[in-house]
Amino acid sequence: MSRFYVEKNIAIGAAIVLSLSLARAADDLPKAETILDKYVEVTGGKAAYEKHHNEIAKGTFEMAAMGIKGSLTSYRAEPDKSYTETDLGSIGKVREGSDGKVFWQLSAMMGPHLREGSEKAQAQLAGTFNAELRWRDLFKDAKTVGVEQVDGKDCYSVQLTPAEGSPITQCYDKESGLMVKQTMTLQSPMGEQTVNSFATDYRKEGGVLMPHKLKSSVAGQEIAITFDSFTFDTDIAADTFAVPDEIKALVKK
Amino acid sequence: MRLSSGAILAAALCGWSLAQPALTPAERQLNVDSFEQVWKTVRDKHWDPKLNGVDWQAVHDELRPRIEAAASMQEARDIMSEMLKRLKQTHFGIVPGEAYKELKQKDDNGKSNPSDGDPGLDVRLVDGHALVTFVTPGSPAAAKGVKLGWEILRIDGKELAPGLAKVRAALGSAMLAELIETRSVIERMEGPIDETVEIEFLDGNDRKVTLTLGRTGPRGTETVFGSLPPLHFWVDAHKLQPDIGYIHFNMFFEPEAVEAAMKKTVAECRDCKGFIIDLRGNPGGVGGMAMGLAGWFTRQSGLVLGTMYLRGASIKFAVFPRPNPFDGPLAILVDGCSASTSEIFAGGMQDLKRAHVFGTRTAAAALPSMFTKLPNGDGFQYAIANYISEGGKPLEGIGVTPDREVKLTRHQLLEGQDPVLDAAVSWIHGQ
Repeated sequence: MSRFYVEKNIAIGAAIVLSLSLARAADDLPKAETILDKYVEVTGGKAAYEKHHNEIAKGTFEMAAMGIKGSLTSYRAEPDKSYTETDLGSIGKVREGSDGKVFWQLSAMMGPHLREGSEKAQAQLAGTFNAELRWRDLFKDAKTVGVEQVDGKDCYSVQLTPAEGSPITQCYDKESGLMVKQTMTLQSPMGEQTVNSFATDYRKEGGVLMPHKLKSSVAGQEIAITFDSFTFDTDIAADTFAVPDEIKALVKK
Repeated sequence: MRLSSGAILAAALCGWSLAQPALTPAERQLNVDSFEQVWKTVRDKHWDPKLNGVDWQAVHDELRPRIEAAASMQEARDIMSEMLKRLKQTHFGIVPGEAYKELKQKDDNGKSNPSDGDPGLDVRLVDGHALVTFVTPGSPAAAKGVKLGWEILRIDGKELAPGLAKVRAALGSAMLAELIETRSVIERMEGPIDETVEIEFLDGNDRKVTLTLGRTGPRGTETVFGSLPPLHFWVDAHKLQPDIGYIHFNMFFEPEAVEAAMKKTVAECRDCKGFIIDLRGNPGGVGGMAMGLAGWFTRQSGLVLGTMYLRGASIKFAVFPRPNPFDGPLAILVDGCSASTSEIFAGGMQDLKRAHVFGTRTAAAALPSMFTKLPNGDGFQYAIANYISEGGKPLEGIGVTPDREVKLTRHQLLEGQDPVLDAAVSWIHGQ
């Protein structure tokens, strides 16, 4: 499982930009590692995370302004395998995934897409199982950059810089320690898009507190993802993470 | 979506002559509220924060006293329309509430629902004349022997020419005019399946023929996309000749159906001399499908059809190459009823020099726009983004100019010819 799962879902779509409050002097702010480690602790603890080796999440996808609704199923497994299928009805299915080496997206609407370069690095990061425990490996730098307000509550803004690609900023509620907002620059051949996502409705699943609602905004579009169920450590069919033939054909090139 | 907007605009034009009753204080307030909603929406949603250089606050302050004093619905609409005209951009407009009613009840009896059925005819305006360009096989029109090239003179006793002239006069030379005029004719033929429509034609011998035609359900299968009303989608893909692949679909919806048709046709067409994509009459739909369709015709990664500019964001219409794409000559057929995603695809492929475009200039209606209802019951259309094709030109207001302009003629239609398709076939064979 991964709180960084948020990144993966926002790749599909959606920008409520909340104003930053005045940043405090760096000396007044807790260190990033303190905030990130606290997150693991308040959501269940390292042991609870490590107990799980794969995850199936099911939920819904909605772009209310356009009246578009769909279902979403996501499979994830150690160390960085993933497969997500979003069924958007008449728009068709949007599939994306990785076997840990090849990162891809496939839809009837846009065709097959092999993720490369910084886009691949971003997908790899998002696909890492239990990324919360591995932030020291995944990011070359993490620093607390200020205090922001989300829904009227203060949160610590932590900037995480990966080895490749642009930094990600995540905001952690001062009181609860839960991550409530994430801002990132989505990389794709369609250009760079700033994405703001808000995580709410934290509830325990498999011993770990997980956000069940994600609201993202990108390029004027708002997307709401609601998770209805999580299943852990089941036998996921071996071919779930297999690279589709259309993508294999592109890899061979 | 364009189809709907064209229909609404066409109906709107019909509504302009309605008498205007005096307004109650509540209605006046609703007009003021509508004015404010329009003004704020443009301020907040227009892709250009500078609003095309217009001092929007000054426009508000100038017109607000006038909307407060507006004595009729028409006067209120005129004031809101004047505000939008200051932007000097298309796809911003006020649609009278009567227009929505007009679409739902075609005549005074209020019995018709234009989405129920049609006699099985497609029509294009050629030099101001409504000519039959397609007769659906097995339809009531086919059963009664309606032929290509026949001109439609009257529908249910009402002469067509004066109405078309009125629409044309109101729209001027705007490229969208052809789309709106065409839709206005088609909608007059639509109605309940259990009712008939009487159409007077000018046949191939220039004789007036009046036929009473039944109606059949719209061609294709029903599809639902978001908040739009149900639409009917069809796709027709086959080998046009032993050596040319051909695909024609009526809207950019149902991506999986289009993908399946493309997959089959491209696979069967490995040795074809060329491929034709027929976008005539296609009003657009899901913009992303332009990218997916382009991917069937290139092996090159990194290509872009164009860029959509929203406020604070831009989206490139990137092309994702399919495995084993078709490498031969590609012809795209368009006309004045090809709009939106059709223009994005045709214009982009033309700019990339991957396709040769045949037909007449497209509708020039490529701004992504939205419709919303105002407090006073009127409709409000507003664009949310600008779109620039890869060649650097905006499609909005300009459209796609074919590499080879080919116009339909009544004579050729009566002969059973399709000069646009014929030109594309000839070009492919010459490659």
